[in-house]
Amino acid sequence: MKKIRLIIIFSALVLPSCMNEPAQQPNTYKGNFEALWQIINTKYCYLDYKHINWDSIHSVYSSRVDTVKSNFSFFDLMGSMLGELKDGHVNLYSDFNRSRYWKWFQDYPANFSNLLINNNRYLGTNYLMAGGFDYAKINNGTIGYIYYDDFSDAFSDTNISYIMNYFSGCKGLIIDVRNNGGGSLDYSKQLASYFFKVETVTGYMRHKTGDGHSDFSAAVEIKTPACKNIQWQRPVAVLTNRMAYSATNDFVNRMKQAPNVIIVGDRTGGGGGLPLSSELPNGWLVRFSSSPMYDSAMQNTEWGIDPDVRDSIKVADQAKGIDTIIERAIILLK
Amino acid sequence: MQTNRCQTHEMKKIRITLILLVLSFVVSAQNNTDEKKYPLTSNTNSFNLSTLSFLDPYLSPLNYSGLGLGYSTESRRFLNEMDYKYSTLSKFRFGAGIALNPKLTSDLLYFGANYGWGIEYHLMSINGIKLQVGGLWDADFGFKNVERNINNPVNLDMATNLNLTGLASYDIILKQKTLKLKLALQTPLFGFMFVPRAGASYFEMFELGNLTDALHFSSIHNKRGIDGKLSIDVPFNHSVWSFGLKMNELRYSANDLVFNRSEFSLLVGTTFDITSFAGRKNKAPKNFISPNDY
Repeated sequence: MKKIRLIIIFSALVLPSCMNEPAQQPNTYKGNFEALWQIINTKYCYLDYKHINWDSIHSVYSSRVDTVKSNFSFFDLMGSMLGELKDGHVNLYSDFNRSRYWKWFQDYPANFSNLLINNNRYLGTNYLMAGGFDYAKINNGTIGYIYYDDFSDAFSDTNISYIMNYFSGCKGLIIDVRNNGGGSLDYSKQLASYFFKVETVTGYMRHKTGDGHSDFSAAVEIKTPACKNIQWQRPVAVLTNRMAYSATNDFVNRMKQAPNVIIVGDRTGGGGGLPLSSELPNGWLVRFSSSPMYDSAMQNTEWGIDPDVRDSIKVADQAKGIDTIIERAIILLK
Repeated sequence: MQTNRCQTHEMKKIRITLILLVLSFVVSAQNNTDEKKYPLTSNTNSFNLSTLSFLDPYLSPLNYSGLGLGYSTESRRFLNEMDYKYSTLSKFRFGAGIALNPKLTSDLLYFGANYGWGIEYHLMSINGIKLQVGGLWDADFGFKNVERNINNPVNLDMATNLNLTGLASYDIILKQKTLKLKLALQTPLFGFMFVPRAGASYFEMFELGNLTDALHFSSIHNKRGIDGKLSIDVPFNHSVWSFGLKMNELRYSANDLVFNRSEFSLLVGTTFDITSFAGRKNKAPKNFISPNDY
């Protein structure tokens, strides 16, 4: 009898425990608003860091939801609410639109022009292309210049090997990642690895572990390895502007720790939070920063990374077809 | 003298008869001990069409539902040819499916495989119902992909469990044939499972090696399920076909996430018995022919 009693007590305690699915919001404007607000409230990683009072944002936008008359106006309202996060990694995707926050580069000088880098002084028309890289020798063949506009473009060791052999007579190398909005962190790590002599801790990452705004896991090291077969050990300048974002931000952060590397240009756009995604009851997708990344001094990289040498494109230079930032890099590499 | 001769002749006859009788007993006994038993392996291979339902909060808070196709094979064999109490059971199944969210704006692609091996004890039959119970260790692997997700497009279902299994079978005797009705049940008892934290990306887990809180002990406190199959074996002239219904309901929880996987299937397959001969000590009897011998 004792055994049976124990089994009954054990079953009563264990079986009903913690296995209920969380309640889902109904597919109404109010329900979708609450679902979106809750996703950000529990999963977005920068509410405390950015001093955002998300509860008060609920109050403000909740009252406006009652006035919504169509999916379009509801989408705009939700997009505006997400805009309060001031985060380029936060988007709402519907079948008819994608909300976005672009002030991280729109409010700043462009410091980049495709026309400039494609004139004969730099890439010209006969530049080489390999693995997403456009490259050419500039400054009378003394400097290697690589333009990489998307960290989603794959490349291989073989691509890099050919490029570095091509630049073997150059005194220095410019890697221009301006207007590169990001892509894969794997490519960021791979590209940086050609400029490190030893594996180096170049940053840290954490992720949300609970519903609290500052519930984070312990920081885990982000290491940049040194490529065993290919190494560039001459001076390197990495060119940046505000549109260097996300994986490009990560690349710049890594390269800041590399020997013989100098960062030239404007502060990067940031995007230090690795984004994840979730869904609303109406089927819309929301992307949000979930895992904050830090530099090697455990400083957040969400707002961007300062260059070692700040410079911007002068209007007078641009009129003459000169990219002030490239010219500054050439001088620094000499 | 005549009488004595006759008596001696009679005695000889009796003696010969006795010797022949003894010899025939010995031969018969020898025949019985030499009659080797060949334990057969009963195989059931079946295909299934399923309705699927997934709740995977790592991928989405919404329920995804859809259709799937699968193949499964199941083998049963007595552990020992002299003992009809224990039999081994091995299972393998593979399935794939596609499911959609309630508003049909996103799809989830699913691939799953499961291998299990166990032993069952044959209980006494009650009113013609044969009962077996046992334990089965299994390894479960599932791959779920919501392609439109960003940095969390995939979640892996990886688990290993010790399961409680049971089988009830009943022979339905008709005029021409005997049908076999079977109900098989399986439920997880304890094991280990991989469940990532909701906020942890696969980049952090597998690129940076941070697998903290990704591996969990599971038991009925955080993992419950029932895998039930009701089938009927119908013999035809040269084959036995198996038709059935299958229900697989699994719910588990870790890292404050509750997962659910439901599958309801229609099954069709074949059942057959096989044995194998190989090696010096396990040669085929002479009335078996093999191309290796000719």
